[in-house]
Amino acid sequence: MLKVENITKYYGDHLAVDHLSFEVKDGEIFGLLGANGAGKTTTFRMIMGLLEPTEGEITLDGKKIDYSVTDKIGFVTEERSLMTKMTVVDQLLYYGILKGMQEKDILAALDEWLERFKITEYKNRKIKELSKGNQQKIQFISAVINHPCLLILDEPFTGLDPINVEMFKEAILELKKEGCSIIFSSHQMEHIELFCEKLMILVKGKPVIEGYLKEIKRNYQKKNIFIRGDVEKKELEKIKGVVSVEKTAGEFIVKIASETDVDRVFKAVSKNKITKFVVEEPSLNEIFIAKVGEAYDE
Amino acid sequence: MTSKFWYLTGLSLKKKIKTKWFFIANILLAILIIGLINVDSIIQFFGGDFDQKTEIVLLNETNYSNIDQTFENYIQEYKQLLTTEYEASIEVYSGNQQNLEKELVDTDKIGIVFSNNEDNYLEAKVISDQKIDTMVYQLLVQVLSATKTEVAMSLTDIDLEELEKINTPVTIDRIILDDASQNEDENMSLIMGTVFPTVILPFFMLVLFLIQMIGTEINEEKSTRSMEIIISNVSPKVHFFSKVLASNVFVITQGILLILYAGIGLFLRNLLATGTNITGSITTEFSEIWQTLVETGFVDQLVYVIPITLILMILSFIAYSLVAGILASMTVNMEDFQQIQTPIIMISLVGYYLAIMAGMFEGSIFIRILSYIPFLSCLLSPALLVIGQINIFDSLISIAVLIVFLYFTIKYGLRIYKVGILNYSTDKMWHRLFKAARNKDV
Repeated sequence: MLKVENITKYYGDHLAVDHLSFEVKDGEIFGLLGANGAGKTTTFRMIMGLLEPTEGEITLDGKKIDYSVTDKIGFVTEERSLMTKMTVVDQLLYYGILKGMQEKDILAALDEWLERFKITEYKNRKIKELSKGNQQKIQFISAVINHPCLLILDEPFTGLDPINVEMFKEAILELKKEGCSIIFSSHQMEHIELFCEKLMILVKGKPVIEGYLKEIKRNYQKKNIFIRGDVEKKELEKIKGVVSVEKTAGEFIVKIASETDVDRVFKAVSKNKITKFVVEEPSLNEIFIAKVGEAYDE
Repeated sequence: MTSKFWYLTGLSLKKKIKTKWFFIANILLAILIIGLINVDSIIQFFGGDFDQKTEIVLLNETNYSNIDQTFENYIQEYKQLLTTEYEASIEVYSGNQQNLEKELVDTDKIGIVFSNNEDNYLEAKVISDQKIDTMVYQLLVQVLSATKTEVAMSLTDIDLEELEKINTPVTIDRIILDDASQNEDENMSLIMGTVFPTVILPFFMLVLFLIQMIGTEINEEKSTRSMEIIISNVSPKVHFFSKVLASNVFVITQGILLILYAGIGLFLRNLLATGTNITGSITTEFSEIWQTLVETGFVDQLVYVIPITLILMILSFIAYSLVAGILASMTVNMEDFQQIQTPIIMISLVGYYLAIMAGMFEGSIFIRILSYIPFLSCLLSPALLVIGQINIFDSLISIAVLIVFLYFTIKYGLRIYKVGILNYSTDKMWHRLFKAARNKDV
């Protein structure tokens, strides 16, 4: 289990991370979100032991993170961390040995992963000769080849087509099943919603939202109502509590400020002929934009 | 962590040695070194007009009848000074200067017109269609001067025997009062002024290889963002010292290869010179070289010059690799590194030229102080030591200064390195560098 306790990081006078705490249990996927410059990379670097927190402590299975622990951590960085002049096999041997693995174990695991990702023919090719998607697969393999107990995935789906995204999803869920703690970061909120039970949104190094995804959505006051029927847009916009109305594919999406406004909207439209009236929780994307936007406005 | 250190060192070496670049560069270096050592054989192999005689046409407009004979005698005497075999034929011309000039047009002949000046002394005109070879021209100047002297002397009452005595070179009995300098020869400065720079040229070249190797490697790992993965598994200290060790092993290996190529060159030279008796000829040639070195007192000096030079060179290699590595850690791309390595190369170049010109700075305190400065000392100190301008104590000071420099470079350099390798900021590099050096927490 990864435990981040009250960590703060200053770069000179600049506060990059401000009293951050969270836990990622074994077999759990934790989403760490934030706009650019929110402090995600600094947090990852502190977890990897690359940076020392100014305050606070990070432990993995109760041990402070040092070079005896980092061998069991896998890291897929946002930008590709591959030596492009090396061949695939040399690159993976390089990273594998640095993680304390034996050469024969690396080669055996590599063959399995190449087979799984359907890129066996690239084993002896130079990385620079590979497509972006295939390079991303190699980067992913380099992070998981040692069966890590903690895996950090920073934008892991960059450059992948939908088929390869599915392959990655399966692999990530399998690692989760094996008990690997995973920290997942992405700007594509649908991926976060798919994987993460728990998440945190950072703004200027500080969490603005944290907790289980379901609770976050439930607690978020603004809801969306999907209405299909004999109603006019202007009519809907006049209802108290309605924030905005959008018309898409023959139905209206009515955004309301609070859950308490649902009854008012229902009463207003029920006078007409209505074939659909569904109240849905907002998407994570909406919550992210609203919360991060609010924080920037402050 | 120890096995990771050796793995990283081995990988760096493998990346450098198992490349086409290393293979091609060494083939070219071998060809170049072996070729230079055997350049005379190569020139002769391709053939050419090597035994061309100089035809000299003499026009005597003076009253001295034997001038052509005197001139020819001096030609025979002075031609020994030329390194190559030289032959000249002399022909006496009976016409006037105008006709002689016409005759020389479109030929390689050299015309010499002797005449008397106002004081009745000999003067000469040297006429040719094209420019004359510098060595031949120098020979002619010496021969003409000697001819003038002899003609002038013969006009006085000095008899021939007396004249010969006057012309005999002066006998010099050389006495040196300082015991330490007894075995040194005045020619030593001249020998070391030319021989030593040739010996240290490969060192200068290896320094360039070293700077390039360590800089390129660190820069490549940083610019591809592999550094985060690497440093999350090995400490910056292990990473840095593995690069330093690998680059030093690489240049020492390259240095040994250069010596090997020179050995092959000498072997071939002997083979070409003596045909089958290879061992005997090498032994003879080295015996001659050794004898010359013993006579000039150079061998006595080698006992301490070689260890001092080797220590200075190895410590300087380490210093160069440390500084190049630290600077490379602060750069974000190869262009930045190319710019930042320029000052190091310039310093090395200054040391090289100062070592070449070492003989010109007799007694200079400034040059003595420069020989203590790291990066310059490895080139300058041995050069000054060999020509006797500094003593062993000065060289030991250079070594001590270099060791102190290495201590502080490691102490503050590691701080910079640890910050630099994960920093991708492009502004105010020197500011970041000094700030990182002051930061004790990293």
